[in-house]
Amino acid sequence: MRCALGPSPAVEVEDVWYAYGPRSALEGVTLQVPAGAFAAVIGPNGAGKSTLLRLLLGIERPQRGRLTIFGEPAGKVSHPIGYVPQGIRLPRGFPLSVGDLVLMGRYPTLGLGRRPSRKDRERVEEALEQVGMLPLIRRRFEDLSGGQQQRVLIARALVGDPCLLVLDEPTAGLDPAARAAFYAMVCDLQRARGLTLLCASHDLEDVAQHAQIVILLDRRVQAIGSPSEVLESRALAQVYRFPPAHHHHPEKEGPA
Amino acid sequence: MEFLSYGFMQRALLTGTVLGVTCALLAVFVVLRRMAFIGVGLSHAALGGVALGLTLGVPPLPAAAVFGMAIAWVIGWITRRGEVSADTAIGIFFSTAMALGVALMSLSPAYRQDLLGYLFGNILSVGPKDLGLLLLLSAASVGPLVVFFKEFLFLGVDEEAAKAAGLPTGLLNHLLLTIMAVTIVASMKLVGIVLVSAFLVIPAATGQTLAESVRGMVLWSLGSAVLSVFLGLWASWLWNLPSGASIVLVSAALFFLAYAVRARRQRRKGAGS
Repeated sequence: MRCALGPSPAVEVEDVWYAYGPRSALEGVTLQVPAGAFAAVIGPNGAGKSTLLRLLLGIERPQRGRLTIFGEPAGKVSHPIGYVPQGIRLPRGFPLSVGDLVLMGRYPTLGLGRRPSRKDRERVEEALEQVGMLPLIRRRFEDLSGGQQQRVLIARALVGDPCLLVLDEPTAGLDPAARAAFYAMVCDLQRARGLTLLCASHDLEDVAQHAQIVILLDRRVQAIGSPSEVLESRALAQVYRFPPAHHHHPEKEGPA
Repeated sequence: MEFLSYGFMQRALLTGTVLGVTCALLAVFVVLRRMAFIGVGLSHAALGGVALGLTLGVPPLPAAAVFGMAIAWVIGWITRRGEVSADTAIGIFFSTAMALGVALMSLSPAYRQDLLGYLFGNILSVGPKDLGLLLLLSAASVGPLVVFFKEFLFLGVDEEAAKAAGLPTGLLNHLLLTIMAVTIVASMKLVGIVLVSAFLVIPAATGQTLAESVRGMVLWSLGSAVLSVFLGLWASWLWNLPSGASIVLVSAALFFLAYAVRARRQRRKGAGS
């Protein structure tokens, strides 16, 4: 399925505030991500990256402000949103198979108490095929490498046919080769399906290479623009407290 | 199989099988969600409910069910608020409720025999009336576990993703704690408060050792629980052992057997590759 790219932005955040008790996480965040773009959210630990993603996914509600996804309020969207976490931690030895894990991505479309059909299982196979993991469908998830586990989590996110994929530091703990392979695969999927990607990341090099929009967050939006604008900005140096680096990045084309 | 010709033994076997199936199904989620300690806590807290029931002249099993559910919800509520860790909350309520139970029962020497029965179980004393109530409690637990199996699985594997997918995670968490409290109370007659928590872990541990999928884990877990009840009651009959202890010992033996089988399987795999 290819996502239709309408004129309205995929993600719109307007003056959003959120605090964990006395600790402020987001202060008046406003931003837009056009449909079909790969937007990376960067910032140091505690900058509010994961909080922003949790608000968009409807896991938390903002204390002030408004978030919409394809024009619908976050948490009440009719389109499924694909979510790829850093990883999942199962109890040692728990025999969850790759196929069973990916099938969970179909649950929102099934409804409470309904059993998956043969069609749902076929969709699982298609999603695993797309990420190159179909041969491992019966393997235990815990027996896979970190890179393979992330591919399976991408398949779980894709199997619900989302137009927005939210990735929360998906390459944390992967080696450089696995990170490069992961981003290459995600970008291929983005182009093939017209997906909008919103990815929280610490990997500035990867972001420079693959994202079209970079959002520098440190409780507020400190900078937003193309990778070259943000990664060579004074704001980056101030937020991370280091001199601006010269990252190699081919200029990205705009959203397809 | 002479022991099966007695009415009390037939009732014990029927009750044990139904409760074994209930515990084994729930145990899959106890293992997945690392809830073994909450099982210990709720089973010991149930003693407070039994004692309250006996003291107030209310039937002890329903009293323990209501008390256990209340404790489970309070533990869930405190844990969600995040001010006290789950372990600490369980530790506080488990010891307080059990202390309440022991204190109330010690006030009346007539209840001392009851106390031993609830602590260590006596499935052979299950009468026709008890059987109906236990079957009802088991059905109340197994029904939602079967209907919402995939939702409980998703919740246990990745709670954040389940929330993002729009599942009512708060409600499902409460439901699971409630099922746990009801199952524990129903199982008190089978293996007793002290041993019920073992029955909430060991069958699933056996299942996960042998299976390569969640479906396989459920089937092995159910099979080992039913076999434990049958062989445990038989051993109890043969050697005049307490039924609860015999059932748990057989269950543990099956786990060690499964562990040995898996180790052998892995050695073969290692040699073959």
